[in-house]
Amino acid sequence: MAKIVLENLGHSYLADPKGEHDFALKPVNLTWQDGKTYALLGPSGCGKTTMLNIISGLVAPSHGRLLFDGKDVTNIPTSERNIAQVFQFPVIYSTKTVRQNLAFPLECRGVSPSRIRQRVAEVATLLDLDYALDMPARKLSADQKQLISLGRGLVREDVSAILLDEPLTVIDPQMKFMLRRKLREINRQTGVTMILVTHDQSEAMSFADEIVVMKDGLLQQSGTPEELFSRPQNDFVGYFIGSPPMNMINLDVRQGTLATDALSLTQPSPSESNALLYQLGIRPEHISLVDQTAENVGVGTIKKIEHLGVDGIVTLELAANVVIKAKTRKHTAMSVGTTMGINVCQDDALLYLDGRLAT
Amino acid sequence: MNKVYHTLKTIFLLGWSIFVVFPFLWALTTSFKDANAITSGATYIPWVDFEPSSQGWTSLFTTGSQGINIIGPFIDSAVVTLIASLVSLILGTLAAYGLSRFEYRLGFVKNSDITFFFISQRIMPPIVLAIPFFLMLKELGALDTIFGLVLVYIALLLPIAVWVMTDFFSGIPKELDEMAMTDGCSPIGAFFRVILPNSVPGLVVAGMFCLIFGWNDFFFAFTLTFTETQLLPVSIVSLNSSVTPWWSLSAFALISVAPLACVAVIVERYMSRGTMSGAIR
Repeated sequence: MAKIVLENLGHSYLADPKGEHDFALKPVNLTWQDGKTYALLGPSGCGKTTMLNIISGLVAPSHGRLLFDGKDVTNIPTSERNIAQVFQFPVIYSTKTVRQNLAFPLECRGVSPSRIRQRVAEVATLLDLDYALDMPARKLSADQKQLISLGRGLVREDVSAILLDEPLTVIDPQMKFMLRRKLREINRQTGVTMILVTHDQSEAMSFADEIVVMKDGLLQQSGTPEELFSRPQNDFVGYFIGSPPMNMINLDVRQGTLATDALSLTQPSPSESNALLYQLGIRPEHISLVDQTAENVGVGTIKKIEHLGVDGIVTLELAANVVIKAKTRKHTAMSVGTTMGINVCQDDALLYLDGRLAT
Repeated sequence: MNKVYHTLKTIFLLGWSIFVVFPFLWALTTSFKDANAITSGATYIPWVDFEPSSQGWTSLFTTGSQGINIIGPFIDSAVVTLIASLVSLILGTLAAYGLSRFEYRLGFVKNSDITFFFISQRIMPPIVLAIPFFLMLKELGALDTIFGLVLVYIALLLPIAVWVMTDFFSGIPKELDEMAMTDGCSPIGAFFRVILPNSVPGLVVAGMFCLIFGWNDFFFAFTLTFTETQLLPVSIVSLNSSVTPWWSLSAFALISVAPLACVAVIVERYMSRGTMSGAIR
């Protein structure tokens, strides 16, 4: 177990990076507390896997330092970092049995055979793999193989962290859900730090205590799922977290205030700002649709209704051709073409200057 | 339709099998014939078609005018082939692992160039290599010795081993090495404890190729030896005199094919079994 600190850590695959765009991972400062679950979230090619490989030591960072419990491990080889990694595709030692697979990390460290037997038995119970211990590992299903990968980390009581690199990609949807819950359970039971790389926001939201959102090698925002949802630091986080993404409505400067024809919400114009773009960000979940005659901050015509089981996504066209989406449970009572009143709490409408949340 | 296809397939395979097995049948019957039986046309059934004689076989184990002793050449051939194959396989596997997992750069020379360098050793026809090999072995005083032949055969077999194993290692996911390292293995430990046990099919294929090429080589065994050392293919040819002893030749051919046939039967299951199929996905 260890507290992991990334100190100005960056990586470029080029020998001589010229500018920012040459970095696969732009220098970043982050602290990962011991025993928590974290998710690295971002679109493909955003530097998530690079960051993970730097932590595990498979990639040596070109810039900055990596600390485990205050100890500089930047140049320490993978084998001495005591990290476990679960890969996107199940990787197991196919010539070994499940028991031998689980025992291997301990054998590499010279643990006594009786202790190995005990630890393997404990971990197998934790993972519900007791019955399969003496089966050849290659005979198991994909999700069981991923559990073995996880188990190879768990058998080491002192494992610094378990890194999960999109481990649920090849798992069937039903098993995915169970495996995710299992991961959480194991984290609670063992207190081992887990870092999950994913591009699936619901996976990240349901798994992690804290989410790190990345894009183009740059850290966008790190915080609890609630923070990311309610106060996205920039338009990308607003877009990436939440489904459908945050509505962004352009604002005009009018006599010292920011306003739009679509909604009667105004924002005081920031005194010292030379931003080119002012936007109002509103989560679809924070928009309530009311009768046209009721008190409202704007009206819109329903263009489309999408049914998602309990919830529905209603697309509305407001004045000045502004199109927004709202998430509601009352969609079954609505129909395309009708005009609805829109209500938004002032606190839920966030001001963005050039795509960044105004403070 | 399916039945017709099935029948045609069976007929074709049966015909092909006979075509392949026939030379062996011919050699086997011929080895038990004497001069009279051979000149009297194609016959196949002993005691009915011809009177069997053990002359072909016994002549291979007697020295003098009656035949030659093939035990010496057989052992020489086995020693040269086995040592050269083993050394090539060990060096080739290590080289191939390095080439498939690490990046080398020497000026403009990169991994693919090094791999090509190895394979390019087999581009030249043997005749081109014969004279340089001859001169080099002469300098070493290794002409007509087992040691000299082993050196030459390593040079010939190493490219095959490197080529087969590089291809094989490229097919093993890199994640397997990475996983072994996160589990606490050093890079070389990962190779020996994880990658090598997974590479049995590749090693078997590469080893088979080395054995076949080493065992069957005639040209270098012929040009680089005189009297002291004689390998099996060369001594077969030396049997040929004014009267061709077909019976001895046939028996000899069968004996020289036997070791490879045995190896093929033993390793066949490794070659057909996709041991790697479970490692990933």
